[in-house]
Amino acid sequence: MSAILEARSLTRTLAGPKPVHLVRDVSLTIERGAFTTIVGPSGCGKSSLLYLLGLIDRPDSGELLFDGREVSALSGDERASIRLARFGFVFQFHFLLPEFSALENVMLPMQRLGRLDRDGARSRALELLTAVGLGEKSANTPDRLSGGERQRVAIARALANDPVLILGDEPTGDLDSRNSARVIEDLRALAHEGGRAVACVTHDPGIAEISDVQIEMLDGRIEKIIDRRARLPAA
Amino acid sequence: MIGRAGFLVTIALRHLARRRRQTAVAVSGVAVGVGFFLAVSALMVGSQNDFIEQLIDAAPHIIISDELRSPSPQPGVRVFGKGAVALHGYKVRNEVRGIKDWQAIVSAANSVSGAVASPSLTGGVTLRLGGHDEAIGIVGVEPEIEKKISTIEDKLRVGHLHDLETTQGGIIIAEDLAKRLGVQVGDIVAATSSSSSGRSMRVVGLFKKGQTQLSSGTGYVLLREAQSLLGRPFIINRIGVKLADPYAAEAVAARLESRFGYKAESWQERSADFLSLLVTRNVIMYSVVSAILLVASFGIYTVVSNNVSDKRRDIAIMRSIGFSEGDLQFIFVVEGLVLAIIGVLFGWLLGYGLMTILGSLRFPIGGDVERIPLDRSARQYAIAALVSFLAGSLAAWLPARKAARVDPVDILRGAV
Ligand SMILES: Nc1ncnc2c1ncn2[C@@H]1O[C@H](COP(=O)(O)OP(=O)(O)OP(=O)(O)O)[C@@H](O)[C@H]1O
Ligand SMILES: [Mg+2]
Repeated sequence: MSAILEARSLTRTLAGPKPVHLVRDVSLTIERGAFTTIVGPSGCGKSSLLYLLGLIDRPDSGELLFDGREVSALSGDERASIRLARFGFVFQFHFLLPEFSALENVMLPMQRLGRLDRDGARSRALELLTAVGLGEKSANTPDRLSGGERQRVAIARALANDPVLILGDEPTGDLDSRNSARVIEDLRALAHEGGRAVACVTHDPGIAEISDVQIEMLDGRIEKIIDRRARLPAA
Repeated sequence: MIGRAGFLVTIALRHLARRRRQTAVAVSGVAVGVGFFLAVSALMVGSQNDFIEQLIDAAPHIIISDELRSPSPQPGVRVFGKGAVALHGYKVRNEVRGIKDWQAIVSAANSVSGAVASPSLTGGVTLRLGGHDEAIGIVGVEPEIEKKISTIEDKLRVGHLHDLETTQGGIIIAEDLAKRLGVQVGDIVAATSSSSSGRSMRVVGLFKKGQTQLSSGTGYVLLREAQSLLGRPFIINRIGVKLADPYAAEAVAARLESRFGYKAESWQERSADFLSLLVTRNVIMYSVVSAILLVASFGIYTVVSNNVSDKRRDIAIMRSIGFSEGDLQFIFVVEGLVLAIIGVLFGWLLGYGLMTILGSLRFPIGGDVERIPLDRSARQYAIAALVSFLAGSLAAWLPARKAARVDPVDILRGAV
């Protein structure tokens, strides 16, 4: 298993009269082929860590290696192009552009990357939406989709550019248990069969239990890392 | 690259389509600004062009007279000019007034492509009819040549310039002078000058009154006639030159003057005061109308600025997906530019309409019904568009920078 992302002593503090220590001295690796979950009580810094790992936020100290390359000091544009081409995000609250249909929202990262032409992007977007069960509603704008449907559009969009790393912040938070189970199965499959790295913040113990690696956080620090793959018999 | 720009433009258009009313207000602001810019500048530039045209046409583009800018040195000074000898009281040589070697000047002027030079002789005579005297300046011309360099022919109420050639002793005078003298076309007046005995002249034509460039005290006669009337046979004291390009007048005049020594005055020199007045007028006009266009772009600032505040969440999404700061900047500058473009298009229509209305108005001036002179050239449209695009993108630039600087983490955290 190869590490796609490696964090060494990441620290992130919000400056101010009373500094807020969001993430303290976090070291971990996110590996291809593994479904990783990040758990912990509300406010312990899970989202903050995810933003650091996703190159959206910059650490105050520590190192972050993506594919073996130090990325925390790269320029904003370089980090943006890594996010665009290699990462897929599903946020805690679905974030779709309201002026665009579900299909167009999914096309957005593809069009920005420009690897596919418009028609190519359109047919791939339709495939992705069909995969999350929304092929019929691809023309709907977000205000004509339910919360769960929007979350599925966001998942489809995260997969648009065929990312190597998928980061989710409670991607199933808005879904009922049946849909939630389906999404988690899909994410696991992306990791196990597609050779991608998938890391999700979750409050759901059921999801954490079936993950390959479970990172437990408390108060900005890593409390414990449970690697379930170690217990599996070597196949 | 073009594909990406087009894609970013569609995002900008979607944002604008969402805010139809605000967009409409900003667009109409620009449209009104552009429309009035066009109307005002058409008026200003139109009347200015009309003034200049009249200036240019009023008299030949260059007038060479028998004057010198500085008196030519006397022979004694010419010989001992740099010597350590002071010369006083030497006998001054009297020179006959008039342009010497004028044929050479005329042919030099004619050699400029498209140029026509017309020699003439001016002088003062007194016209008398019964007990009534009028002192006037007469201009002796060759009608066929003079016609090519001046607009005299258009200024005649009655008769033609070439009537001077067909009528013995013909003279053309202003209609109000004719009225004062009590003569009509075909009547005889007596003309006398200081250097000749009187002769009879027959009125063959009348100028319209109220022509600024032709005072009522001017009369046109045949060159030959003037020479004998003024007692100056073969003398010429004025050469008028008309050029194909009036704006070359200054250069050509300078060349002729330095070559022949006689004062050669271009129309620009003649009207220097007036032209500098026009420059001031233009500065004032362009500052006022630019201010109009600038104010119009405030509307653009408001719309783009509101869009940026409204779309902070969307900006955060796009940034975290991997859009660059430059992309966001581009999207919002394009929004401003699109508003400016639509505004300019409507403004062009409005301006066109206003100009059509202005152009259809008629004013009675000096007995003739005149149109307002308007400059309806494409240049004004282009200037209005250019200034609006610049102002629009500038107005959008500031909020767009703010959009580019949005830190997605702030928004994501805020949403949690
Ligand atoms: N802008 C801010 N100013 C001050 N404190 C903040 C700010 N943003 C977040 N925090 C604090 O930082 C800590 C970590 O927040 P974070 O969102 O990472 O927690 P979390 O583990 O994702 O919580 P949850 O499970 O509720 O989403 C929290 O205690 C929060 O109160
Ligand atoms: Mg969170």
